[in-house]
Amino acid sequence: MRVKLKAGRDQRKFIERIEELSGENVFACYQCGRCSAGCPMASEMDLLPNQIIRLVQMGLAEDVLRSKTLFLCASCFTCESRCPKGIDMARVMEAVRHILDPKGKDAFGPGEISPELAQEVPQQVLVAIFRKFSK
Amino acid sequence: MKIHYYPGCTLKQKTTALDISTREAMKRLDIELVEPEGWSCCGAEYPLTEEKIAGLAAPIRVLRQVRDEGGDVLVTTCSFCFAVLKRADKAIKDDPLKHKRINAYLRDDIQINPLTKERTTGFEDYNGEVKVLHLLEFLRDRVGYLKIRERLKRDLKGLAVAPYYGCRVLRPQKEMAVDEPDSPRLFEEFLQAVGCAAVDYPFKQECCGSYLSVSLPAAATEASYRVLRSARMNGAKAVAVTCPLCFYNMDHRQDAIKETFLDFTGLPVVFFTQLLAWALGVEKSMLGLGEHRVPADSLFSEAPATEVRT
Repeated sequence: MRVKLKAGRDQRKFIERIEELSGENVFACYQCGRCSAGCPMASEMDLLPNQIIRLVQMGLAEDVLRSKTLFLCASCFTCESRCPKGIDMARVMEAVRHILDPKGKDAFGPGEISPELAQEVPQQVLVAIFRKFSK
Repeated sequence: MKIHYYPGCTLKQKTTALDISTREAMKRLDIELVEPEGWSCCGAEYPLTEEKIAGLAAPIRVLRQVRDEGGDVLVTTCSFCFAVLKRADKAIKDDPLKHKRINAYLRDDIQINPLTKERTTGFEDYNGEVKVLHLLEFLRDRVGYLKIRERLKRDLKGLAVAPYYGCRVLRPQKEMAVDEPDSPRLFEEFLQAVGCAAVDYPFKQECCGSYLSVSLPAAATEASYRVLRSARMNGAKAVAVTCPLCFYNMDHRQDAIKETFLDFTGLPVVFFTQLLAWALGVEKSMLGLGEHRVPADSLFSEAPATEVRT
């Protein structure tokens, strides 16, 4: 028997916004799992990259937006280079981070790094992480 | 040959080893490096959503400056800078809307000459006139391995070095298009050209943990450990990197790696430019070896390479 899923208005809005921001066609994904298989941070994640994209396809914004995974992606693009459908998963992740509550707390802000560590690390890592994980 | 060179923020402050070894090596190849006047930080991360295009302004401003100084090539060594500059350049060429918006924003940019205090504004649009090259590409395509081999002053005696590409040089494959993302040869060929033996190992293009290094150090420690262990298991005496952040994660983090993973006994991490400079006859004091946490001195000794202990 064929079961047809139909997204409601809110779900459709979420999906369209993710596609608009990321420029990716999330429905191209057929859940092969290569993104998750190659992801260096998969062991730390509560939702794997392929699960994130499945939830986006179904328009389940809440489940995606509260996932720890959004702040474990190192944008290494391993998933992008291996996706047989040409989806850039890092862009989907960034799109989801983009629509998080703009008034919410930073996932990682300047207050969370000790002055000693900030002195030690290369500058590029500070620029990069605040660009990615703070507002 | 005179060429524009973009060191980036980290090379000027924390990781000067990569900068000075690059400069010394280029001198030996008769290449003059010119920094674009008034360059700024590239932004480190290329903006990945369609609406965050402000992040393109800084790299495009740098590229426009290179063009205005008559340059058509910009060489960089840091993988982060390379990725941001190259992708921003491609975005301007491929996307008319980004071209229009970024150029409109940058047209009224004001530049003040530090000496004469003269103000310049009303800049010409940047249309992708500058080709962004990683130094590894530049050495392969513009200098040529033949010329490097002719200039070699020291025999590295087939030192077993594991090339580490990391994330940004190869990917996203559609935009970077430097080499095959899962079976690259660029770094291997370079190592062979300077007299090293390139170690083949499965983690050469895996992630070192990148910026998670500050938000989730344990994850970066583990990711770096996986790379180093794989290199060691395949016979490497050192790992060669191109990026200051890969260097930080794999070199400065090795104490934490040893504490967490008891089977790991250490492996020196070097910049590819240090190997190049050394092979071209640059003195040891000009390699910036003082910045290494894991001593790499033994790799750069006049003694036969077989005596190297890691």
